[in-house]
Amino acid sequence: MLELRDVNASIGIIPILRNLDFFIGAGETVALIGRNGAGKTTLLRTIMGFTKITGEIRFDGRPIGAMPPPARPGLGIGYAPEDRRLFSAFTVEENILLPAQAARLSAEETKRRLDRAYRILPELREMAGRPAGNVSGGQGKMVALARALMLGTKLVMLDEPFQGLAPALAQRYAEALRALRDADRSVTLIITESNPALLRGFADRTLVIERGEVAEGALEPETTPA
Amino acid sequence: MNLTIFLLALFDGIAYAALVFIVALGLTLIFGVMRILNVAHGSLYAIGAYATVALTGFFLSLGLAPALSFPLMLVAAILVGILLGGPIEWLLLRRIYDKPEVLQLLVTFAVFMILEDVQRLVWGTQPYFEARALQALGNVTVFGVTYTVYQLILLPAVALVLLLGLRFFLRRTILGKLITATTEDREAAQSIGIDADKVFLLTFIVGAALGGLGGALASPTTSILPGMGADMIVLSFAVVATAGLGQIEGAALTALMIGLGRSFAVYVWPEVAVLVPYLIMVLVLLVRPEGLFGSPAARKI
Ligand SMILES: Nc1ncnc2c1ncn2[C@@H]1O[C@H](COP(=O)(O)OP(=O)(O)OP(=O)(O)O)[C@@H](O)[C@H]1O
Ligand SMILES: [Mg+2]
Repeated sequence: MLELRDVNASIGIIPILRNLDFFIGAGETVALIGRNGAGKTTLLRTIMGFTKITGEIRFDGRPIGAMPPPARPGLGIGYAPEDRRLFSAFTVEENILLPAQAARLSAEETKRRLDRAYRILPELREMAGRPAGNVSGGQGKMVALARALMLGTKLVMLDEPFQGLAPALAQRYAEALRALRDADRSVTLIITESNPALLRGFADRTLVIERGEVAEGALEPETTPA
Repeated sequence: MNLTIFLLALFDGIAYAALVFIVALGLTLIFGVMRILNVAHGSLYAIGAYATVALTGFFLSLGLAPALSFPLMLVAAILVGILLGGPIEWLLLRRIYDKPEVLQLLVTFAVFMILEDVQRLVWGTQPYFEARALQALGNVTVFGVTYTVYQLILLPAVALVLLLGLRFFLRRTILGKLITATTEDREAAQSIGIDADKVFLLTFIVGAALGGLGGALASPTTSILPGMGADMIVLSFAVVATAGLGQIEGAALTALMIGLGRSFAVYVWPEVAVLVPYLIMVLVLLVRPEGLFGSPAARKI
């Protein structure tokens, strides 16, 4: 479903990611583990089209490396960025609806997807009318997830979703991700994390990213004995 | 100061503020969304005025009713937006969004210079007068002071409708929401599928059309001559900067403040009247550099 072949990515003139070469299959849940500054965010932004690349990125077999960023979500990609990035001018529900409106989905299809998002994150219904600038950090993460689900019918990418969540909320968030898994086995999930313990037992597969290079890995503890 | 003079100053101020606000609205919309200070906005204003005079002159000479002037103003504004605003964004500005602000300013200034010469080339340096729209609406007398309906009622009404209409458009319509989202966070907007390039093009066309509409509406109240664009860009910039860049409601209040300040100064202290808007701007910016309604970091529209 997602294939990177020999990809190098740079921001401006600074090369950040090197020799990326991997394939992620439909329905896989992938943990992308790396320390601070390893390149997790840059990798997700690369898939969204925000970096300059060489090499090839394929989505469902189709090369998307040259596709402008706003065209990519329409392929079925939902992306919840690291710092939530909600639009504070709008309410929670307006934020969730925006991707569907940008993609000009029909009213019925929009409603169907909104219902799906609310089924996975029912607590958002109660705060639907609240200004997005007024929700707590953890709630904001839920809203960002719901927003990503609107177009993320094939691939959902979450950048450090557990970062800064209180334990109870983190629990809730993980439950929501399980509900998403159970609702649709064909959705591919890429979740980045610096602490592998948080995704233990949840991901089918782990990719480790270190200094801009990605390797197949196991969920090793962060510190290794000297 | 007796009541008559007070009312005259008040009405002058309101009429003037309405026009300045309409022009400033386009300027602040473009800045708020695109972070570009469009110096060429002054030329769009002037060309809106020239185009209105040309269109009205042509159609009324065919024997059509003067009331036709009003739809022609709208036509002139839309032409300015599409024929000038569209290509300016598409051919020039699009290439320089990630360049330093000084360069952006220079580019829009260059466009301003080019358009100033284009005006002289097309319309010459002789002033034009075309007041039939103003006469068509007649006068109104308030407490013994007679004033034109056009300036006292139509202009403020148009300004108010534009203010409320733009706010409604940006917050309640789908297209407006996509624009607002792009204003707040361009990359996040693109990440959810909003075509920021299209949003910028559309915003610039709408903003340019507002500049043109300001000129179109001003045309019956003033003589149309070279240099009017330069005056207006400086003045509307003063309004936008005093309010805080990108502040729509703030621009309305500031336009009123600057308009009234200037018109009362005309009667009280005429020597400094033309300076009053800039004095107000300097005073406000000394105390609040981000403008009356701006916040230092946030980017609002
Ligand atoms: N806009 C930028 N300009 C220059 N360098 C950048 C930029 N963004 C990121 N980098 C660099 O790219 C590298 C990878 O950063 P990235 O944000 O992808 O890491 P990360 O794994 O997401 O880290 P974190 O855990 O802190 O989120 C870092 O060395 C960072 O300094
Ligand atoms: Mg990161």
